[in-house]
Order: sequence, then C-alpha cells, then structure tokens
Amino acid sequence: MANFNIDAKKEVTYDAIVIGSGISGGWAAKELCEKGLKTLVLERGPIVEHVIDYPTMNLDPWDMELRGGLTPDQKEKHYKAIRSGWIGTDTEHFWADDAANPYTEEKPFLWLRGHQMGGKSLLWGKQTYRWSNLDFEANAKDGHGVDWPIRYKDIEPWYTYVEKFAGISGEALGLPQLPDSHFLPPMELNCVEKHIKSRIEEQFAGRNMIIGRVAHLTQPHNGRGQCQNRNRCSRGCPYGAYFSSNAVTLPPANATGNLTIRPYSIVQSLIYDETKEKATGVRIIDSETNEEIEYSAKIIFVNASTLSTTQILMNSKSNRFENGLGNDSGELGHNLMDHTYRVGAIGKVDGFDDKYYKGRRPNGIYIPRYVNIDEKSKSDKFLRGFGYQGGAYRGGNPANIEAFGADYKDSILKPGGWEMFITGFAECLPYHDNKISLNTAVLDKWGQPTLTINAEFKENEKALNKQIQEDAVEMLTKAGVKDVLGFDNEHPPGYGVHEMGTARMGRDPKTSVLNEFNQVHAAKNVFVTDGACMTSSSCVNPSLTYMALTARAADYAVSELKKLNI
Amino acid sequence: MDRRKALLKTGFFAGATILMPSMLSLFESCKTETRLDWHPLFFTDVEAKTIAKLVDMILPRTDTPGALDVKSDIFIDKVIAKTYDKEGQDSTRADIAAFNKNCQENYGDIFINLNTEDSTKVLTEAETNSGKFGSGVWGTGVGPQETIGFYRSMKSMAIWAYMTSEEIGKNVLSYDPIPGKYEPCKPLSEVGNKWSLG
Repeated sequence: MANFNIDAKKEVTYDAIVIGSGISGGWAAKELCEKGLKTLVLERGPIVEHVIDYPTMNLDPWDMELRGGLTPDQKEKHYKAIRSGWIGTDTEHFWADDAANPYTEEKPFLWLRGHQMGGKSLLWGKQTYRWSNLDFEANAKDGHGVDWPIRYKDIEPWYTYVEKFAGISGEALGLPQLPDSHFLPPMELNCVEKHIKSRIEEQFAGRNMIIGRVAHLTQPHNGRGQCQNRNRCSRGCPYGAYFSSNAVTLPPANATGNLTIRPYSIVQSLIYDETKEKATGVRIIDSETNEEIEYSAKIIFVNASTLSTTQILMNSKSNRFENGLGNDSGELGHNLMDHTYRVGAIGKVDGFDDKYYKGRRPNGIYIPRYVNIDEKSKSDKFLRGFGYQGGAYRGGNPANIEAFGADYKDSILKPGGWEMFITGFAECLPYHDNKISLNTAVLDKWGQPTLTINAEFKENEKALNKQIQEDAVEMLTKAGVKDVLGFDNEHPPGYGVHEMGTARMGRDPKTSVLNEFNQVHAAKNVFVTDGACMTSSSCVNPSLTYMALTARAADYAVSELKKLNI
Repeated sequence: MDRRKALLKTGFFAGATILMPSMLSLFESCKTETRLDWHPLFFTDVEAKTIAKLVDMILPRTDTPGALDVKSDIFIDKVIAKTYDKEGQDSTRADIAAFNKNCQENYGDIFINLNTEDSTKVLTEAETNSGKFGSGVWGTGVGPQETIGFYRSMKSMAIWAYMTSEEIGKNVLSYDPIPGKYEPCKPLSEVGNKWSLG
C-alpha cells in the first residue's frame, strides 16, 4: 500500500477513470497514465501490492493449519464459486465473497469473480493465444451474431505491442488459424507428451500438439524474474514471472506519477450528461463506509469484468438511456458466451516407468483447432470449432490400489503411472437469448441490484462437445494410450471462465453497443475493453485479445481527446 | 482457475493441521494404555483408536515413518472437526459405528479389539467393497464416479495426511520447493521417491 497513491479524497476530477484493475483495467491504467492522463482506477476490493500482499506464496502444505481444507464458514462465503474446484486455503482470499455479492441463476451458470486489485489476473490460467481472421470473420460468414467491426490486421500491431511488454512464451508454428505471437522461448514437453505428439501428428494430418503458449516468463524480461516452476501462481508470484496487473501493468502506471487507485470502491453507475452526450463521471459507494462519492473525468474505461461491466452500464439509467447507458440497440446484456469445458479423454501410458520430470511446469499441451478451418476440414455437424488443452504426468490415486501395509506404503512413495488427458474448449455462438438482467428483488450487501443470469449451451455447442470427446478418444487410442476414458461433464456456461459478450462491438449502432474502437456508440467517451465487448467467442482463450483491444482503444481515446473529439 | 495446479491436486481431497513436535507412536501407546494420550477435537476415545489402528495398518512404520509417527490420526480428527459440516460429521460417526458393527457381527468384537489376523481380513474385505475413485481433470472428477465407502475414504485421507506431513513431505518424498529449471525427461533413478509438492 505504501507505494500506491490511494488518496482520492481531495481530488474528485481526473482526466480518465478506469473501473476495475484486472487484466484489461490494468492495461488501460498503464496506457492512459503513460500517455500523460491523470487516471483514477476504481477497485471494488482491497489493494493487493505485488509480493507484499501474497501471504501464502511460500507456504508448504504443512505450513497451513488445514493444509488446503476450507472451514464451513469459508465454504459458505464461497458457496457458488466452490463448484469450480479451484478454491483452497492458499487462494481463498483472492476469490470474491458470494454471500455478500449474490447472483441468481435462472439456468445454471458459474460466475467466478476476484474482488481485489488485480482481479482475476492473479488467478487466471495464463494460456495466451492470438485470435485469427477465422474468428473475426466467423459471424459474417455463417450469419450468427453481428459482424466484428475489426479484422486481424486491425489488432495485429496491438497483439505485438502487448506481447512484447507482457512476455509470452511459446513456439512459432506459422499456423493460419492460430497466429504466432512474439515469443519468449517455449516451455518444454515432457517425454510422454513428446511421444504422444509424434504419434498423433503422424496419424492425423493437419493436427498439431504443441506446448501451451503462456504468459509466463521463460527468461528475465522487463525487470521481472523467470518462472521457477513452483506452480504456486494463483497465490501471487514473488518473481513476477506470470502476467498479472499487480506485477506487470500497475507498477509502470504508478511510476508515471499519474495513477491514483481507490480501493473499496463499488461503482454504482456512470453519470450521463444529455447536453454533452457524454458521460461526465461515476458514482461510487465506499464498501467500507457506505459513503457515496462522485468522480468526474473526460474519458471512462469500464473494465469491471464481463458481467460486472454490463451490470454497471445497465444500472446507469437516465432520461436518455432508460434501459442502461448505451443500450439503444437493446443488445446490452445479451449474447453472453463462454467456452465449453471439461469434455475430452484420459488414459494410462505404458513404457516410461523409468522417466520422470523435475519441476512443476505451470503449463500443458495445446492442440490448435483443426475443424472448419478450410474446405477440407469442414464439418457437416456443427459450425465453428474447438481446441484442446491437456498434459501427461505421473499420477494415479494410491488409495485405489487394493493393498495396505508395509510393502504397500513403500510402493506409494514412488511416483504412480503415467497418465495423459486432453480436454476441449469449444466456441459458443452468440445467442440473443443468452442474457443477463438487473434483479432489483435481490440486493447485494450495499443495497445494489444484482444480476440474474440466463444462459445455456445449445445444439451447436453440444454437437461440438460430442466431436471433442470422440476425437479425443480416437487420438489418445491411436497414440497408444491405454484404458482411454472419454468424458463430458456437461458443465453449464461459466465453468470455462471465459465469459464474453453482453456489450458487443459491431458496425451498426442498431445492433451493437460498441464501435470498432470499443466506444459506446452513443457515449463516445465511454470505452469497454474487457470480455463484455466480444462479438463472438472463438474457441481460443480470450485474455490476450482483451489486452490488445485495451491498448488499441486507449491509444485511440487519447488521440481523440487531443483532437477534442471527445 | 490455475488449471494445471488443480490437476496436480487431483486424487487428494482438500482438508488438514499444523503438526506438533514429535510424539510417541500412538499405535504403541494404544497397545499399552487404555486411554488416548491426546485429546481429540471430534472423535470419541473409541473412534480415535479405531482410526489410529486403521491408518497404522494401512501405512505402518517400516524403515520410513508410519502414519502414526506423523500423527495422521490427529490430523484426520482435526480436519473432520474443522472442515466438515454437521451433516458430514454425523455421517462419519455413523460410518465408524457401521464399520465396528460389521466387525462385531463377523468377528465377534469391535475393530480395535480384533487380533491381527481378523483385522487383516476386515481390511482385505473392505478393499474390495469400498468403491474406487474415478479419474479427475483439473480438480474435478470425470467419467463414472463410484460411491466411495468409509474405508476407501479414510484410506485416502490417511494417505493425504501422511504425504502432506512435514516429515514425509520434506525428508522422505523428494522435496524441491523452488525447482528453477523444468527438466522434462529425467531418469527416475536421479529423483528417487515421488515429488512431495503438487
């Protein structure tokens, strides 16, 4: 806390306000501050200063009283998020309080939230891929949703820009459907993964198994240390080896002297001025004191995370916007998407009993999309496509072995057998009826309306999942994996934690909320650059695209500001 | 959300305790004393001795410490006391009672009073009818999941308690808190026992 300027009491007027400090908010703060704008970042939760506020980063299991177990009170606090299977003692403090921040699932939906400085950038999976024209042209080609107002060439320089700063490791392959980033050296496949890779690539033309492309440093970069393969990322990394706002974007924003970050600030709404046709500021509630405060700025970046961003816009009602700021199209809150999750295959691998690995690599394998990428790979069963993540490791569950006693105990001190799994992520089409709405019947701890979520995967996603599982079983089987088990957990949306849409970009104000520079069509000084802006979902992890869109929008915003256009 | 990390956790279920300085093996004390030499937070005296005998039979002392040497039973008691809700606690209590009832009906006495031969028969039988854990991906089960019976559940907990104890985690398993470089294909002979940290 010592290093960040958090005193926003005296000053209520800024050049720019950024709502949220996660992956996209952090980038907005960095870009706007570096371009000379006095910037206020409003963060819903507490300050989390890099390293200083990572209390569990070095704990071994035996250092924690319950070695990862949660108390009934903690389970109650995270009663929704706990379904993810991610939450333990070591990261519990970085997950939002579900009890204080309720939401209503008209259909099952898992909404994972991180209410602190850095948001979910502390917790994310770090898989980092460029999207391609296959993605940006998809809606236009098959008629679902509306056309993206940008193409790959528009975002390509900004991918380069953010990659060079963030540090992305990976291997260049020249695949058109998964363009290469500017890479730091790739992480390495282990011997079983190398073996499976060669078996799959030999037998399936057009399929590749690669090491995951990740926002982990494989060599020192911009003053940050390289990954030490501890795999304790979600507790916060003392080396700053993975991309988080806390380690990467907020420190340089702060170094400009232009940043003020105000913690415990729940943004209630944006204030719209009808005569200026602009937003003039925001209203916040201090979550600690319940005090209501207004801040004003020339431009406002809304980066509260996909659903929260749209919630704020929906709650920003005025005579001009009775149904939420920027909602002339009626599309605000609609077209919610996520990737399908946990559908694939797993099995055992023989023949490598004398091989092991050293280090807990925070990464796995990736199989880029290979269906519907050209005429030859066209499917008649579904639109769009999928990719896989996965990995090989020595595992097994020693409790399953039908034995006990001295020999048994000595045997389970040795590593178990090799296992390999791959699990798919399928693209979800943008459906108008997958939506969120404000719920005034259920209020949060601060008396604010909450969200009702009504979204589901439909026939196309189910057909994709069927193919994912069949292909996964076939690939592993043909690669020589034994006892291959296909699976589909049929998780509802949200489990992929790639929620996208609800304030989509588009060419036409009648059918979209944002234009090609992420400006709200009818309030040009308001920018949305988090997952809410997405027009389609690709099958590829979206975070890198949020970074690039944010840097691009910030550049445009400042240039428009200088031209006095906004 | 850190998917790789959750994957590595698969097979252990969450839960556990700070270890106290080393104590006498509880199995030994059970044989020579009528009362426990520690105060359970949850278990009754008989329940605590039942769990102690169970974990000791599953993971006995060899040339490496056994489950009781690293106080796995005390840890299990603490996990049940501090992480289970009332329903979970009640059902654990009922499970131990049912386990003892089975011993009583088939071997004439509760588990802690059975001789080695009969106790071994009880566990051998339990191995075949307590279900098996299914596969998991990123911290959650995938594919068919059988119902897990008391014995398998307690065995899994005993293993987790044992493997995450400081003595085993640091001195018996291969301990490397800061690996540095990832070595993707290393001869097992150069590592020895499995890595303790997941």
